[in-house]
Amino acid sequence: MARQKFKRALNSRLSPFQKIYLLLVAGFIVGPFVPLLIQSFAFRWAWPDLLPGTWWLEQREKSLLPLAWDYVISPYSRVWEATLNTVFIGAVVTVICLLICLPTARVLAREEFKGKASFEFFLSMPLIVPEAAIGIALLMIFIKIGLAGSYLGIILVHLIPTIPYMIRMLTAVYQGLGRDFEEQAMILGASRWQILRLVTLPMLLPGVVAGALFTFLVSTNIFLLTFFLGQGKIITLPTLLFSKISGGTLDASAAGITLVVTIPGIILLLITERFIKEEAFGKGFGN
Amino acid sequence: MTEVHLRGVGKDFGAFTAISRIDLDIKSGELVALLGPSGCGKTTTLRMIAGLEVPTSGQILFDGEDVSEVPVQDRNVGMVFQRYALFPHMTVEKNVTFGLKVRGTPAEEIKERLEDILDVVQLQPFRHRFPAQLSGGQMQRVAIARTLITKPSVLMMDEPLANLDTKLRGEMRRFIRDLQQRLGITTIFVTHDQIEAMELADRVAVIFNGNLAQYDRPDVLYQRPSSIEVADFMGADNIFPADISSAGVIDSRFGKLTFDPATAPAQDGEGHFLLRSEAIDLLLTAEGAETNLIQGVVRNREFFGASVNYAVECAGETINVSEQSRRLVEVGETVWLRIQPNHIWVIQEGSRA
Repeated sequence: MARQKFKRALNSRLSPFQKIYLLLVAGFIVGPFVPLLIQSFAFRWAWPDLLPGTWWLEQREKSLLPLAWDYVISPYSRVWEATLNTVFIGAVVTVICLLICLPTARVLAREEFKGKASFEFFLSMPLIVPEAAIGIALLMIFIKIGLAGSYLGIILVHLIPTIPYMIRMLTAVYQGLGRDFEEQAMILGASRWQILRLVTLPMLLPGVVAGALFTFLVSTNIFLLTFFLGQGKIITLPTLLFSKISGGTLDASAAGITLVVTIPGIILLLITERFIKEEAFGKGFGN
Repeated sequence: MTEVHLRGVGKDFGAFTAISRIDLDIKSGELVALLGPSGCGKTTTLRMIAGLEVPTSGQILFDGEDVSEVPVQDRNVGMVFQRYALFPHMTVEKNVTFGLKVRGTPAEEIKERLEDILDVVQLQPFRHRFPAQLSGGQMQRVAIARTLITKPSVLMMDEPLANLDTKLRGEMRRFIRDLQQRLGITTIFVTHDQIEAMELADRVAVIFNGNLAQYDRPDVLYQRPSSIEVADFMGADNIFPADISSAGVIDSRFGKLTFDPATAPAQDGEGHFLLRSEAIDLLLTAEGAETNLIQGVVRNREFFGASVNYAVECAGETINVSEQSRRLVEVGETVWLRIQPNHIWVIQEGSRA
C-alpha cells in the first residue's frame, strides 16, 4: 500500500527535480539500514571489500542461520531480556508522562497566570542542559538514595527528556480543542469523569497517540541516562548495542542487534498510523 | 414550564467587572433575547443562567428557587452553542442521545425519545452521519435535538442565527420559533445583531457595559428607545437635540414640531427627538400639507431595490428618509419632509431612565 502510494506519487505530476529530490530523501532515510542488512547476512566482510567476501548462504553447512541472527536469538546475546526491558520501561514512561502532561497541558493551553511565560521557558530546560550533566548529577543522588540500577530510577530519568516534548505536543492539541465541547457535555449532565472518558480523550486521541508514540520512541532510544543509572544491572537495547559497538567495529552480531533495536519503533509506527487515520478524525472537527 | 428571575446579579473577573447589576424577569414559555455589542456581558449573563459561571453577587431563580450555586449538571438547562459544539467523533444519533446516556436513562426510553426528537427536527435520514458530513442548518438542528431530548427547563442559545447564510436564516428562524411555541419552553438567546433579536424574540433585553439598558418588546425598543444609546444600537439615524415642552412641542433647529404627548410622554426641558427614517413622508410640494414640515434638498440617494434611502439636507443637518421605491426622487431636488406627530419619539435621559 505504501509502495503503491509512493509509485503514484512518483508518476503523477512530479517534475524530474522533485522525483530526484524525493529519491534522495528516501535514500537518506533507508540508506543507513543497507550496510546493516548486508552485514547481518554476511559470513565474512573484511576491509576494503565493498561487499562481503563470503555470504552466509555459501557457508550454510557451517552455520544453520546467518551468524548475526544466530547470535541475536541465542540467550548469550541477552537481546530478549534487553528488548523486554526497553519495551517495559518505554511503556511505563509513556503512561506516567501522559498522566503528568495531560493536566499540565490543559492548564497551559487554557489558563492565564502570572509567570506563565517563564514557566514555559523553564519547561524546555531539560532539553538544553547536556544529558551527561544531568546523568552524572542524578547518578550521585540516586546511588545515595538507592535508586541507581533500579527500574524506578531509570523510569524517573527517562521522564526528564520526554516531559518537555509531551507537554508541548499536548498543549497544542488542547489549544485546538475549544472549551465548548466540555461545557456542552457538562450542561447535558455528564460528570467530570464521563466528560474526560467520552469527550475530551476521544477528541484529543490523535494528539495523545502522537505524543505517546514520540515519548515511547524517545525512551527506547535514550542511551546515556540508561547507561549511567542502569549501572549494567538493567540493560536495554541501546546499552546492549553500545557494549557491542564500543570496540569501534560493526560486526555481524552488532548489525543484528541494531536491526532488532528498530523493531519496536517500526511496529508502533505501523499501528499508530492505522489508528490515527481511522474514520472520523480524518474529517476534522466540524464547524 | 419555568420562570427565570435574575435578582441583582453581578459578575467580576478579578478586577474586571463584566456585569455590574442586572435584574431580569423572564416569564414561563417566553422567548427572550439578550442583545448588546460584543463584550457587553450578555454572554456572561447567559453562562451564569446556564451555570457555567457563578455570579459574584445576586441570585438566579428558577421558579422562585435559588439555583445560583447549583452545579451545571444538576440545573437541567439546555444550551446550543454558537458553533454547535457537536462531538465530532460521534454520529448524529450518538450526539443526540449523549445527554440521556450520561444520566443513565434506560435504553428503551432513550430509543423512544430519540425517534421522537429526530422526527421533530427532521433528521431521520441523517442519523448515522458524522457532524462533518452535515450542512450548517443540519448541524444546528442536531444541536437543538441533543439539547431538547433532555427536556431542559430553560433553553439557551448563543447567537443562533449568526453562522447561517441568509436563506437558511429565515428557515431556522421559523423552525426555532415554531418549536419553541409548540413546546412552550422558556428560551433565552444571546445576539449582537438587533435584527436577529427583533425577528426572533418576544422581549429583548439590551445590555450595555454590564448594565441592563432596556427590556421590552422589539417594537417598543425600535420605536420608543429609552436612551440615545439604545436608539443608536437599534439602528436609528435621525436623532437631534431640542427643547421639549410637555405640551407636545419641540423647538429644534428645524423649527417648531408638534408631537403627541400621549404617545411620547415628556417633561419640559432639554432632550432629543427621534425620527424613524421610514416614518417620514417625502413630499415634492408643500401644498396640502399642514404642520410638521421641514424643507430640504436631496443630497444623496441609495437604491436597494425594494426600498430607497435619501439623505436630505435640512438646516445644515442631514435627515435620512427611506421609502418603498415606487418612485425615485433625483439628487438635488427640493423636498418637504412631513412627520406625523405620533411618529415622533422623545428621549430625555436622566428624567425617565
